[in-house]
Amino acid sequence: MSENEGLMCFKCNVPLVPTKTHFSYLKHNFSEEMPRCPVCGQVYISESLVLDRMIPVEQMLEDK
Amino acid sequence: MNSLLRHTFSVCPVCLRRVPARLTARESDIYLEKRCGEHGEFSTIVWRGEPVLADWVGEVAEVAGNEAPDCPAACGLCPEHRQDTCCVLLEVTCRCNLACPHCFAESSSTCAGDDPPLDQVQAWILDIAGRGKTFLQLSGGEPTLRDDLPDMIRFAKKAGCEYVQLNSNGLRLAEDPDYVEALAEAGLSFVFMQFDGCTDDIYTTLRGRALLKTKLRAIEQCGLRNIGVVLVPTLVPGVNMQHVGAIIRLAVATSPVVRGVHFQPVSYFGRYPQAPDDALRVTLPEVLRAVFEQAGDIVPANSIAPSHCDHARCGFHGAYIVTPEGLKPLTKPTPSGCCHPSPAEKNRRFVGIRWQRPSSRCCTDTEKPVAPAADSCDLGTIEGFFQRSKSHAFTISAMAFQDAYTLDLERLRQCSLHVYADGAVRPFCAHYLTRSHAQRR
Repeated sequence: MSENEGLMCFKCNVPLVPTKTHFSYLKHNFSEEMPRCPVCGQVYISESLVLDRMIPVEQMLEDK
Repeated sequence: MNSLLRHTFSVCPVCLRRVPARLTARESDIYLEKRCGEHGEFSTIVWRGEPVLADWVGEVAEVAGNEAPDCPAACGLCPEHRQDTCCVLLEVTCRCNLACPHCFAESSSTCAGDDPPLDQVQAWILDIAGRGKTFLQLSGGEPTLRDDLPDMIRFAKKAGCEYVQLNSNGLRLAEDPDYVEALAEAGLSFVFMQFDGCTDDIYTTLRGRALLKTKLRAIEQCGLRNIGVVLVPTLVPGVNMQHVGAIIRLAVATSPVVRGVHFQPVSYFGRYPQAPDDALRVTLPEVLRAVFEQAGDIVPANSIAPSHCDHARCGFHGAYIVTPEGLKPLTKPTPSGCCHPSPAEKNRRFVGIRWQRPSSRCCTDTEKPVAPAADSCDLGTIEGFFQRSKSHAFTISAMAFQDAYTLDLERLRQCSLHVYADGAVRPFCAHYLTRSHAQRR
């Protein structure tokens, strides 16, 4: 089971649903399927995605 | 009559004494003018044409008369130096297998003195690493003349140097696959390889022999061992200024092995064939314009910015990802200046993560794998961007070194490229500063 399966929204107590989600950083746009609460719209971003992918991508996009 | 732009300090090219200097403008050209009480007046072109200097540089404080009055003569990086160290260059030999007419280090096959022994070099590396200067350039002379270079690289990596760069002419890399393998095994991060153009007449003029095939073989050999290569052309008027575009095209075509091009307009220190007049000078804006005039079809407009770590008059940089459709630009033109608490540290990371190829070996537990040569190129997903930006990073950059004619303390005091010698680190252009040609001979 992946780390994104079986997740529940703590606030709404409903299962998160994979949903296409749009990100933007320094005018570059990305879209990813992310676990999202169908009620309140909150998106779950795993720690590993932040540390292993989002931070390096941000660093690549940042200038000196 | 030139109009005064700003005051600064320089040195007399004859005696190297510090003298007041002025930047002056004549139409769109800018000159550094100075007068030595003993040796007279000197004027040298330092900026030709667009972009307008003030727009390019932004706000930089002038050097005050009481600021570091012993600079550069007593340099060992004083507390008033305006920038931290980004890279430290360490000479490991003065020997060379070429005898180029232009050589900042005055290297040759018969240089005086023996190579420093390995244990001496290791002690220097420990000193450098201990200061937290974790981007080490092994230079010379030609470092690959030393068989124990892999030992130095291995030692530097263990000592904590995050990046170890080799400055090389590429001759041995082309001819000795086992040696390249040993460099890779030792942990070499990338090679800064002298690469002046894509025709042999350029090498015959600048290096004394036809070398194009050798250079291409060196790139190939590095590619086989996953070592990134940055092409480093020395740009000389009348020799290779019309080849800027061809060099960029070749570099893009040999991505991902080649990670970028780093242009160096010729400067006159160390060994050079004749005393320079303005016609023998290439200024930074001319290099910038040549990039877009000769390769504007593949290098997107407005994708190059002034140096932020060093003085804006010292260089420029553009970061890209090579895609099947061409260069995807990441750099946006912004005024010079950096909000990061340590611009030198940010600069180190900026170049290091781009010039070092991702490992082709198995990943660690904490590091997800990076495809060494990702075929997919979907920059619209985080994963696709991550993979491609690691595997096919590319830079176009330049560094305009200063010599005794062009030296401007405002620039020197912001230098982050330092040379280690005799237990001290000094700005590159202070370390290699030499008296005028006429006085040396």
